Amino acid sequence: MANSNLPRRIIKETQRLLSEPAPGISASPSEENMRYFNVMVLGPSQSPYEGGVFKLELFLPEEYPMAPPKLGRICLDILKDKWSPALQIRTVLLSIQALLSAPNPDDPLSENVAKHWKSNEVEAVETAKEWTRLYATGA
Amino acid sequence: MDSEDDMHDANDVESLEDFYSGDTAIDSDDAADGDYEFIDNDSEDEYDDFTSHRNQQNYTILSEADIRQWQENDILKISTVLSISKVEAGILLRHYNWSVSKVHDEWFADEEKVRNTVGLLERPVIEFPNAREMTCGICFEDFPSAMMSAVACGHPFCNSCWAGYLGTSINDGPGCLTLRCPDPSCAAAVGQDMINTLAREEDREKYARYFLRSYIEDNRKAKWCPAPGCDYAVDFVVGSGNYDVTCRCSHGFCWSCTEEAHRPVDCGTVCKWIMKNSAESENMNWILANSKPCPKCKRPIEKNQGCMHITCTPPCKFEFCWLCLGAWSDHGERTGGFYACNRYETAKQEGVYDESEKRREMAKNSLERYTHYYERWASNQSSRQKALQDLQLMQSVHLEKLSDIQCQPESQLKFIIEAWSQIVECRRVLKWTYAYGYYLPEHEHAKRRFFEYMQGEAEAGLERLHQCAEKELQVYLNAEGPSKEFNEFRTKLAGLTSVTRNYFENLVRALENGLADVDSHGACSRTTSSKSLGGSRSKSGRGRGTSSKSGSSSRNIDDSSHWSCEHCTFANVRSATICQMCHNRR
Ligand SMILES: [Zn+2]
Ligand SMILES: [Zn+2]
Ligand SMILES: [Zn+2]
Ligand SMILES: [Zn+2]
Ligand SMILES: [Zn+2]
Ligand SMILES: [Zn+2]
Ligand SMILES: [Zn+2]
Repeated sequence: MANSNLPRRIIKETQRLLSEPAPGISASPSEENMRYFNVMVLGPSQSPYEGGVFKLELFLPEEYPMAPPKLGRICLDILKDKWSPALQIRTVLLSIQALLSAPNPDDPLSENVAKHWKSNEVEAVETAKEWTRLYATGA
Repeated sequence: MDSEDDMHDANDVESLEDFYSGDTAIDSDDAADGDYEFIDNDSEDEYDDFTSHRNQQNYTILSEADIRQWQENDILKISTVLSISKVEAGILLRHYNWSVSKVHDEWFADEEKVRNTVGLLERPVIEFPNAREMTCGICFEDFPSAMMSAVACGHPFCNSCWAGYLGTSINDGPGCLTLRCPDPSCAAAVGQDMINTLAREEDREKYARYFLRSYIEDNRKAKWCPAPGCDYAVDFVVGSGNYDVTCRCSHGFCWSCTEEAHRPVDCGTVCKWIMKNSAESENMNWILANSKPCPKCKRPIEKNQGCMHITCTPPCKFEFCWLCLGAWSDHGERTGGFYACNRYETAKQEGVYDESEKRREMAKNSLERYTHYYERWASNQSSRQKALQDLQLMQSVHLEKLSDIQCQPESQLKFIIEAWSQIVECRRVLKWTYAYGYYLPEHEHAKRRFFEYMQGEAEAGLERLHQCAEKELQVYLNAEGPSKEFNEFRTKLAGLTSVTRNYFENLVRALENGLADVDSHGACSRTTSSKSLGGSRSKSGRGRGTSSKSGSSSRNIDDSSHWSCEHCTFANVRSATICQMCHNRR
């Protein structure tokens, strides 16, 4: 129902995200609502987050791409006044990944990352498994 | 505006007869209305030569049509001199707060840098593709190139995405005036030409409004009139002295802080006073119930926490106990611990209970002091409102009636309008001097004495004038026919108007130079002036010099048929030994 009338742009973006995922990033649309994505960003190597997974939820509002995607409480300039409709989900997720490589303790994002971060080893293994499964099914 | 000098001479007391019987001084519109009219900006060569035109006065009232015209004029000027399009000139001017000279300077200093900052590209970043069909970078649909558009950079997007992009930005607010190309790596500015060809009609109109309003709101030398519902703006020549302006809607306000006109009191004092008033407005009981004067600095301190440890606001920062008003440092084990203070109880037992009496006394004093100034400030405010109504009633109804009863042409009754206008203006000044007085430090005894003397003289003069205009005039309004005393009344009211004006000019001048003349206040209070208070509001560059004043003062004395009162400057007939106005001896 929510998936009928999905703009061509969203369909194309989704297809590309699944067929050519950016390294260390996975974004898969929910089956009930194609505007809703489960996102995982792998902690970049040689960063404090190496070996961990950053999970978040992304939602494309009705006005997308004129309005930016919604990403919880994450504070990123391109999700606000620096948003341009020529940006994409992929570019947003790459920006988050870049932030993880060079975390800035004063940045509100870091606080979010800290909250969502699964440093627990057992859980890290779990996510890694899920990660692999997703890659396998996505390909 | 050379006729201004004639006007002021005409207002001098000794030439009052000439003023009202003669036809030379009064028939010039400039002279008759100059005092209470705003600047007329509809004059002939305004747009060709408005820079020099504006040099003669310190502000100009702008209607929407004027704003449009001035904006258009500035854009045209920049477009011509810089050889750029009008759209680009508009973008540049807006970026530099509509300052033509700033755009000039920046552009000719470093054109490349300006172009980069503002986003005015000289050549495209990419060649606009000449393929028959291409994909839009926003909607990912394919379009024939005729349905794609780009700004100077050449980044193509489909026209429908452009409309969405522009509309989203325009509906977000005036930020749309600084819109850039949708390509995230591109800083090319999007101008009004794109809006006009690609945006929806209602968005185009909204944009045009923002663009027009920007000429005032982003402009360092223009502001909207703050009166509710007023659409005029005021263009002000910054650095030209006093900030009081009068809008065409008749609202008088301070151009600097946009509060109502408050000359001679400075903006900072006005701001403090207004905040004080709103803080006090709740009611006086509130102060007694929720605040106590700090035992050290005596300022009232509000208790806004449950704990009894109170720290006075900076710079005092004295820490004391709410219950006993003793120093917090004394509160140790001895008193039962910091959060179980029993000193209040102890004090009560020991009979030191009148501490709290003292506290109430202190609070009462600080309140009484404030109440004294506030009461006078507020009553002058309401008195001014009343005078304003009376002035309007006089102009709309009474003047005509009086003209019929007393068989006088209305042109001969202008002295009444002058009197009322003077009252309105003086009430405003007097009101603000009470805010000034409240903040005048207690320990500056000499200044305070001098100030209170000047204020008292001015106030007494104003009361006489107000009473004469209000009560004595009534007699002639109610009369059956012409009264032979009417000419005497004319002389008296005109005289009082002039005298009061002098008092207030002295007061305004004294406050504006920070009571610096405190040592020579005798000389100062005697200074005669030929400048009207009303005039100094609307005319630039006047009222600062004092050299002309001694001139007119000596002219008063030289007049052999009159003598000029040392105290109030009133020109008395030679035979009088006591001043008719202030009852001081010659
Ligand atoms: Zn498009
Ligand atoms: Zn571009
Ligand atoms: Zn106005
Ligand atoms: Zn002000
Ligand atoms: Zn204190
Ligand atoms: Zn205590
Ligand atoms: Zn006198």
